[in-house]
Amino acid sequence: MCVRCLDLTRRSLLIGGGAAAAALHTGVASARIRPADTVPLIGPGFKPTDEDEKGLWHDMDRVEEEIADTNLLVTDPNITGYLRELIGTVGGPAAKDFRIYLMRIPDFNAMMFPTGFAVVFSGLLLRMRNEAQLAGVIAHECGHFLRRHEIRSWRDQRRKTDLFSIGAMLAGIGGAGAGVYLGNYVQLAQLGTLLSLFKYSREMEAEADAMSAKLIAQAGYDPMEISTVWLQLIGEEQASAAYRGKHRQHGSLFDTHPSDDARMADLRADALELKVPGKVYNDYRERYLAAIGPIRPMLLDDQVKLNDPGASEYLLQTLAQDGWNGLLRFYEGEVWRLRNRPAFHDEERAAQSYAAAVVYPDAPADAWRWHGIFLLKEGRTAEAKAALAKYLAMKPGAPDAPWVRQVIG
Amino acid sequence: MRKSGVALALASTVGLGACVQTRQYADVQFTPPQGEYKLLVLRPDVTVGSLTTGGMIEPRAEWTDEARANIVAALKAQQASRGGNVTIIEHRNALPGVPEQELADVERLNFVVDESIVEHKYLGDYLPTKRGRGLDWTLGADAVKLGRQSGYDYALFLHAEDQVASKGRIALGLVGLAGCFIGFCAPNIGGAEQLDYASLVDLKTGEVVWFNVVDAASQVPGIKFGDLRTPEGAAQMVERLLGRMKPGQDVRSEKARR
Repeated sequence: MCVRCLDLTRRSLLIGGGAAAAALHTGVASARIRPADTVPLIGPGFKPTDEDEKGLWHDMDRVEEEIADTNLLVTDPNITGYLRELIGTVGGPAAKDFRIYLMRIPDFNAMMFPTGFAVVFSGLLLRMRNEAQLAGVIAHECGHFLRRHEIRSWRDQRRKTDLFSIGAMLAGIGGAGAGVYLGNYVQLAQLGTLLSLFKYSREMEAEADAMSAKLIAQAGYDPMEISTVWLQLIGEEQASAAYRGKHRQHGSLFDTHPSDDARMADLRADALELKVPGKVYNDYRERYLAAIGPIRPMLLDDQVKLNDPGASEYLLQTLAQDGWNGLLRFYEGEVWRLRNRPAFHDEERAAQSYAAAVVYPDAPADAWRWHGIFLLKEGRTAEAKAALAKYLAMKPGAPDAPWVRQVIG
Repeated sequence: MRKSGVALALASTVGLGACVQTRQYADVQFTPPQGEYKLLVLRPDVTVGSLTTGGMIEPRAEWTDEARANIVAALKAQQASRGGNVTIIEHRNALPGVPEQELADVERLNFVVDESIVEHKYLGDYLPTKRGRGLDWTLGADAVKLGRQSGYDYALFLHAEDQVASKGRIALGLVGLAGCFIGFCAPNIGGAEQLDYASLVDLKTGEVVWFNVVDAASQVPGIKFGDLRTPEGAAQMVERLLGRMKPGQDVRSEKARR
């Protein structure tokens, strides 16, 4: 065509790249989706009719079968029944169709599969301070199903990869016909396609957030609690990163979810928009604690053993905002004892925590055990023996019972 | 999904040529099952999807069901001709005398053992300790227990995935072919691929005695090496995968000596 083509191509490529980067930069933070705009797209008893969605559901049957009898599943009927009831309350029109599985994984996560079964990690139950917070997260997952996010994002992906392939082929042929090399443009388009897929995913998450606020407000929960969930998570990530001498990760173009900070801000705005003056909203903290009470020691134990003292301590402090008790104080002692850094006086800190734990009536037997052992180390033998005797009385079949008996004398 | 891990890894190694490839390994002492034997087939894992214009795989429920039924029929016919008595289990609770959880454990154990076989036999991560020892993997006591409880001699695990190129994909390939006339030749954008693998476990010893992979990949959309949705295609696949089971190394050299 012309001799300056190459020159022009390179310059225009730079301009094009710059413009694309600018457009995408603003694309990280997308506009807030209003809760009122999130209308459920399906009703009760939904079954797919389109070929692609039927295929997706068919594949999922086997996945659900696999999840339903993995040995990571928590099967205690009280807690699973509680979760089923909860999803039945905040699940909108599909409330009766959902299945929910609790997995013993000490991590903050929950997910919804295309066919309407949700998986909740045990680490989520540890972090939630009341039923409203848990309802918020579960409602978010329900939002994915009610807005048909899985099939919509699959179709988006299919459409964009189709367009990219056709475009790349035409660029190749067109370029060959015209005698120019368009490979750089094709690569830029590939990056653009990829980034637009991530952006679409973030939009769906924002939609599910808005819907969750709406669903729980309708069920009488305080919608403000969901933004508190993100506030807590941000704090935990900061504490964990600070302890490890790292910086907390912030949002990037390749994120599938909006940044925690953006979600918190949007959810606050959602809550303010949704709350009706005069209506009473509840967080149902008591009911929540009663439901998870029996498995709370397991949840705390799993967390402490992650060897992430920064996050564990932050979590304990967060939970203690609703009041300290023997269980929380005991696990605080465990965090320091397991960290065991002399420079930070961890041993003294642990001893203090165990001593504080046994003051509460709900102190676990092991709190008395460690309290006794630390008293022994301090040389306070008489008090130590009393504490160890209390431990034995609470846990006569303990594996170290013979040793304790010998120490008590 | 965890399941697709093995398939993806396999596809990346054997999937480069536009042809049908098989590669099997056997325990050195392996003799293909003959005479009257009882074979248990655990939940054949079959998926058939459509290859989109952009090259993604879209699972199809009806095609998958058709393919599974065809494979099951072909498998039964093939094994019966060898004297085998085959039972195909579709759900984990369908095997009398064996608790669902135990069957699930064996199945999951087999999956990770299969992953290890793929890693060390197919992906080039060869283990010096297993050199010259054929296929040297075992599911151990759990598989022996399964055999004792259920009365089966062998367990077969089977995975099959197949694709059908969509009209868009075929058209894109044709455009690429047309480009050849003006100097941009790209007919080989990648067509449908069929990938199958199977492992045979001796339930008397617990050992994985035989493993085979079939890869029938096409670089040109529209050209296909067998379609699992048809009875003929499924029979062809079963024949490619299980038809010529080679005896183990020791057994073969024994035969040669005699």
